Amino acid sequence: MPSFQITLSPSKRAAGRFVYRVRRALQKALAEEQERRGLNQSAVARAIGVHRSVVNRELRGGKDITLGRVAELAWALGRRAVLELPEESQASEGSTYRRFCFQTKLPPNVSQKAASFTLRKTSAAA
Amino acid sequence: MLTFMATRLELVMQGHLHRLDPVLEPQEREWRLIYTSPRLRNWMETELAGLEATWNSEITPLQQLDALVNEFCSGCTLSFGHQFKPIKHVRGGIWELKTPDLRIFGWFHVKDCFIGYRAEHADYVKKHDLYYGLAGEAAHFRNQIDLNEPKFVPGDDPNAVVSNYS
Repeated sequence: MPSFQITLSPSKRAAGRFVYRVRRALQKALAEEQERRGLNQSAVARAIGVHRSVVNRELRGGKDITLGRVAELAWALGRRAVLELPEESQASEGSTYRRFCFQTKLPPNVSQKAASFTLRKTSAAA
Repeated sequence: MLTFMATRLELVMQGHLHRLDPVLEPQEREWRLIYTSPRLRNWMETELAGLEATWNSEITPLQQLDALVNEFCSGCTLSFGHQFKPIKHVRGGIWELKTPDLRIFGWFHVKDCFIGYRAEHADYVKKHDLYYGLAGEAAHFRNQIDLNEPKFVPGDDPNAVVSNYS
């Protein structure tokens, strides 16, 4: 079947997906902690000394999020941000390249991503 | 009288719908599908790259859409709690796919198969309160297109339109 693609350079594609997955991983962690122990955005904001609206915009994509803030939010959520930069064969070209890739907890029916980023629970990471 | 209704494949071959290749990574599989109207494809190819992100975000609307398409089509969980969900029912079986700066209006022909009709910058949609208007346009396109019945999944239950919603 004929198809078309969103035209984007490989580097910009990697960057966009990386930032998007970081944000989604944080959203997922917050939702889990909210369900587990009632943690909300206000509590997270208080823990790192910013206004709730800042956390809200960072999580929703209305504000850029720095690497430092990723670590702060992870800490407030009782997690540890872990970034891995594995070498990966690029199947389409047969070459080897480095890229960033986040790994959120994937659904059981979805294949695992090769490269990984995790927000590990602090107790498990220690 | 026998009325002929076309399949998605036939509509693609006729140019009435377009199939979006999500450019999945080698280890990913396509669990959900996206088709577009000619209008949406044209917008993606001519206007999307020129849109700017609100707040001058480092991720452009073009990158946002690519990331959303990747997440959607690779079958990832879409909803985290009540706060974070990139799909939302508007009205009459019309749904929007959302990024921070984009709103894409369309419907689900069957579960896990989204047909997008039109997209706009979120600021534009909010400023002019166009949610119902654009949903109406999408519904009109859905009514007009010669797609086999049933043309869409009715209702507002996200679990009825996508697998692995939450």
